[in-house]
Amino acid sequence: MPAFVAALVGSTAHAQEAEPTPAPEANNATASTTAGPAPNAPATGTATESPTPPTSPANTTSNAANPADEPENNVDATNTSADTNPAKETSTGEKKESAASETEAETATETAAGQRPPNFADGFHFGSYGRVIAGGDATGRPGRDADIVGRGSRLDESNYAELELRREDYWEQTGARTRIVTTVAFAHPVFHYDGQFSAKLAVRNLYLEERDLGVKGLSIWAGARMYRGDDIYVLDWWPLDNLNTIGGGLAYRFKSDTTLKFHAGLNQPTDPYYRQSVLRPPVHNQLGETPVELLDRQKLISSAKLSQLFRIGETGGVKTVLYGEFHWTGAGQRELDPEVYETVPADLGFVVGGEVSLFTGKRSTHLNLYGRYAHGLAAYGELNAPRQLSPDRTAAGAREWLIALGGNYEVGPFGLLLGSYVRSFRNASPALDFDDLVEGVVVARPQIWLGKKRIGGFALEGSYQAQQRGVLVMSQEQGTALRPLQASMGRIGVIPFLTPGGMGSYQRPHLRLIYTATFRDQAARSLYPTDDVFARRPVDHFIGIGAEWWFGSTSYFRD
Amino acid sequence: MYIPRFPVLAALVASLALTTGCLHFGGLEDEVELATHVDDWRDQVIYQVLVDRFADADEGNNYRHDITAPAHYHGGDWAGLESRLDYLEALGVTALWISPVVKNVDTDAGVDGYHGYWAQDFNAVNPHFGDITELRSLVNAAHEHGMLVIIDIVTNHVGQAFYYDINLNGQPDIHLQESGQPGKDPVIHITEYDPDFDPRGIQAFTSLGEAGPAPVIFQYDPATNHIPPMPELFRQPEVYNRKGRTFNFDDPDQLLHGDFPGGLKDIDTTRCDVKQEMVDIYARWIEQTDADGFRIDTVKHVEWEFWRFFAQRVRQRLREQGKRNFLMFGEAFDGRDDLVGSFTKNDFPDSPTPEQWANEEACAQEAGGPPLTGDQLDSVFYFPQHYQVFRDVFQQAQSTDRIEALWDARTTNYGTVPMENGIGVAPHKALVNFIDNHDVARFLWPLESRPQTEQRALLQNALLMLMTAEGIPCIYYGTEQEFHGGNDPANREDMWDSNFDTTQPTFQWTARLIELRKKLVALRRGDTNVTWSTEHTGAEQDAGIFAFERTGGDAEGAYALVIFNTHQTQDSATVFEGEEMPVSAPPGTVLVDVLSSAKPGFTVGPNGTLAVALPPMRGALLVPEADAGGL
Repeated sequence: MPAFVAALVGSTAHAQEAEPTPAPEANNATASTTAGPAPNAPATGTATESPTPPTSPANTTSNAANPADEPENNVDATNTSADTNPAKETSTGEKKESAASETEAETATETAAGQRPPNFADGFHFGSYGRVIAGGDATGRPGRDADIVGRGSRLDESNYAELELRREDYWEQTGARTRIVTTVAFAHPVFHYDGQFSAKLAVRNLYLEERDLGVKGLSIWAGARMYRGDDIYVLDWWPLDNLNTIGGGLAYRFKSDTTLKFHAGLNQPTDPYYRQSVLRPPVHNQLGETPVELLDRQKLISSAKLSQLFRIGETGGVKTVLYGEFHWTGAGQRELDPEVYETVPADLGFVVGGEVSLFTGKRSTHLNLYGRYAHGLAAYGELNAPRQLSPDRTAAGAREWLIALGGNYEVGPFGLLLGSYVRSFRNASPALDFDDLVEGVVVARPQIWLGKKRIGGFALEGSYQAQQRGVLVMSQEQGTALRPLQASMGRIGVIPFLTPGGMGSYQRPHLRLIYTATFRDQAARSLYPTDDVFARRPVDHFIGIGAEWWFGSTSYFRD
Repeated sequence: MYIPRFPVLAALVASLALTTGCLHFGGLEDEVELATHVDDWRDQVIYQVLVDRFADADEGNNYRHDITAPAHYHGGDWAGLESRLDYLEALGVTALWISPVVKNVDTDAGVDGYHGYWAQDFNAVNPHFGDITELRSLVNAAHEHGMLVIIDIVTNHVGQAFYYDINLNGQPDIHLQESGQPGKDPVIHITEYDPDFDPRGIQAFTSLGEAGPAPVIFQYDPATNHIPPMPELFRQPEVYNRKGRTFNFDDPDQLLHGDFPGGLKDIDTTRCDVKQEMVDIYARWIEQTDADGFRIDTVKHVEWEFWRFFAQRVRQRLREQGKRNFLMFGEAFDGRDDLVGSFTKNDFPDSPTPEQWANEEACAQEAGGPPLTGDQLDSVFYFPQHYQVFRDVFQQAQSTDRIEALWDARTTNYGTVPMENGIGVAPHKALVNFIDNHDVARFLWPLESRPQTEQRALLQNALLMLMTAEGIPCIYYGTEQEFHGGNDPANREDMWDSNFDTTQPTFQWTARLIELRKKLVALRRGDTNVTWSTEHTGAEQDAGIFAFERTGGDAEGAYALVIFNTHQTQDSATVFEGEEMPVSAPPGTVLVDVLSSAKPGFTVGPNGTLAVALPPMRGALLVPEADAGGL
């Protein structure tokens, strides 16, 4: 077997991206220049932590058979970002078990005059998202995320899997439904790659949710949770809302296809901005030293989301979302030198955004447009710490805006997945610097399903990404005009695949081969340090074999 | 449902294309047009800024900084300096001398390169201070405030770039070894980073004896920016003299070819390629920023031939682009007046042999441009005055006749002919005067045990001398805030600790003196005529008195008389044994002390003499009554 096939995709940089906890140096130019490849450095929280599966297709809980019922029954109107559930149209046993447990159950509940048949969802459920790929470049090096923007083509993503165990109960006495969700996620490297009997894992969900407890249509939850809206599959990204906190929330579905959600949670990114541990002598004349958390502040994140569904025709519709976040962390003090302290001021930030989703209700055809503005502490994302501060040592002045577009169109044996965004990020430091950027990407993945039973097909993917950084490049040649650092990268990919579930852009599982050619210009190469192959190569090839699946997980019939 | 997907896609592609140029650099990315922003450098008041210590306006570049340790980065940056131009404008200074701008070895042996004198990449900015746009922005803003900018440069050495593998084990060692030399210590301490000077070049040796020249091994530690220097030329061992650390500065070989203490590797500045590279490197910094001058570090450690080449080629290159009156003044940290002055003379102080001169000319021809002359630097940092005037007289109350003796030697020890394409003023008239700087303890440091009123009086008297003496005054940042740190790095305090207080008495005194200097052309361009000095330091009537006129020269008929009582305990006068001070102002002229709020007048006697008594540690600035209005 050729070495490049035997080598699993993944590198430090990519594995980091796949981590549920975003790299704290993500917005730190200095750190990124000293600690590793820079190109992915400036991604914000929303852009750095989306290793999990697509949600917009699989969360399409609109029931094609009974579309009018679904919105009322589904607590989460955001789930209607696409109109149909491909799993239902091309269902497999697994798919029915997963997505159906949500949609069919609720539909059934509604049709039974508010009474849900007991035991329909009772019991334990298992769900999963996963992707595994083995491959490498033309020289046998492992594949590696080559994006220069925060979110680019996902064809070179590293291995990642989520295993979800869920308990669901219906309580006849109260009419309430309970769901306890535990999701464990694994990131590359896996055992078969490095032979290490260890795993890089995280608990990504650990919460309890109650529905219809006392109030029909009301949902209450508490615990640790991925808390998300709609994604763009080809970018593996949740542009508007993607929070990871420990906290709680509630949602209420009105009769008017309106859903209102609130949430508040805490987290503490691993960063000296939030926590400093110092050593002190033990008490009562004991020898040795003991740690003291001198600075130990959490970040409070609260969010609110108002969704409204407008139905068009029998199956189509428009969903609108208004969204906001508030981030806050308290003041504290940290130690500069022994017994030399400084005050760390409180910090805050906010997000405002919205989404318009158009869906036809047929074959997962949808188009989602997102707009988002983040300010202050929130501009760095929920699991990041601000790095380049304003003169008052807060994140005041940091800001991010983005416009993103994602969608899918299917007709006959053809499909087209689309993802794109334009984003601007300015850190809190007043001056333009390497962390400040404007970037964007366009990814289009046309595909065709072949065979009578559509058991396989081909996808092509073309993407273009460009990024301008807040630095100017001096030329050693004559002339003193400075060139803005403006990098661009293009990629084409060919993905033949087998799809046992049949046709559908969001149909999984897939077994597939991947070939990509990546083209980066000189400025893009300059984003990598000396001796990095990406600094030397204008063209990169990648070939791999892999699999992707999802089923039965709240990650994509989330609420 | 119809979704216009292709137009949408096209719009997205278009919007992506539009992202180019979305970050606005305020025109700072445009081509820089060089211009001349100064007429006569004697009209300027230089303010020396250690960028790391002045103001921090950009937290983003505070990498590895630690404000509690004087030898570490503290966070100051160019944006911070720009943000405080209003403060400097209130003070009245007109030129900023900023510490070196190039990328340095970040930290070495626990000390950071915050000062800027440890170059690692001559072509890159020091990211601790900002990026090139912020440097350009600073220069532009300074020009808008009527201020010039002088960039500090180093050509003598790079930072701690390599070690000498003396014991040939391929790793840097600091160890003790038997000397094996009769009459010397049986054990010698050797650091391969910074071994003692050896005129043959550092030799490798083991227990079996010497083994030839020690290999030079460049360090590679990105975390501390111990990276082989840039540009490429400086990655060649042959570019360095490789003789080890200077320990005897009186030995010309060590002085010129030894590493600067601290492991700063000495560049062979006689090489033609080095000369050309240095010209290109530093002319580019001016072309990139439109700055107005160079302060040049460690000039006495570099051969005169280098300065001839460097100064002339830089002037020619910049002048062709419209930059005239470009100031280059050097730092020779030395009290020897003739040595310091030698870098301003154009009569070949090194007396090169015909063969040497032929080599110099060959290099000049290779580089293009007109034949070389003897021209060197426009000016130097007047270190002898720092010692003999500000330290000996104004700090220690030694006799004032040493001031006159020093000044009398100016035309002997310093160049008397302006450099061609230079600043248009002879070096001996344009020496950069200073009380203290970043390499010496602050003026107030030895006076700390004195009452504050005395400290202030002594400092303010010294400032009066600084602002009235012939030449270009230079204030070290914080002097106006009465900073009193000891030797390096204690003399490199954080300016923000002063809160940039413009009500501070010495700030106001300094601002007043600068204002007077600006208004009185005699103080800026007049020649100097010492009217009183004395060897007396005791109880004599004139003990501690020093006086000089500034008149004539380029100031023509303008006139100012400056009188000091440097005695620290008694009133003294410009009189001794009945003899009053002769002045050149006509008899009957009424001279007004513009420093005194009462504006007292003094009339020149019929014999052309003047008797003025001053309390201890005080001075007077007398100008003709007709000129005193509005001052």
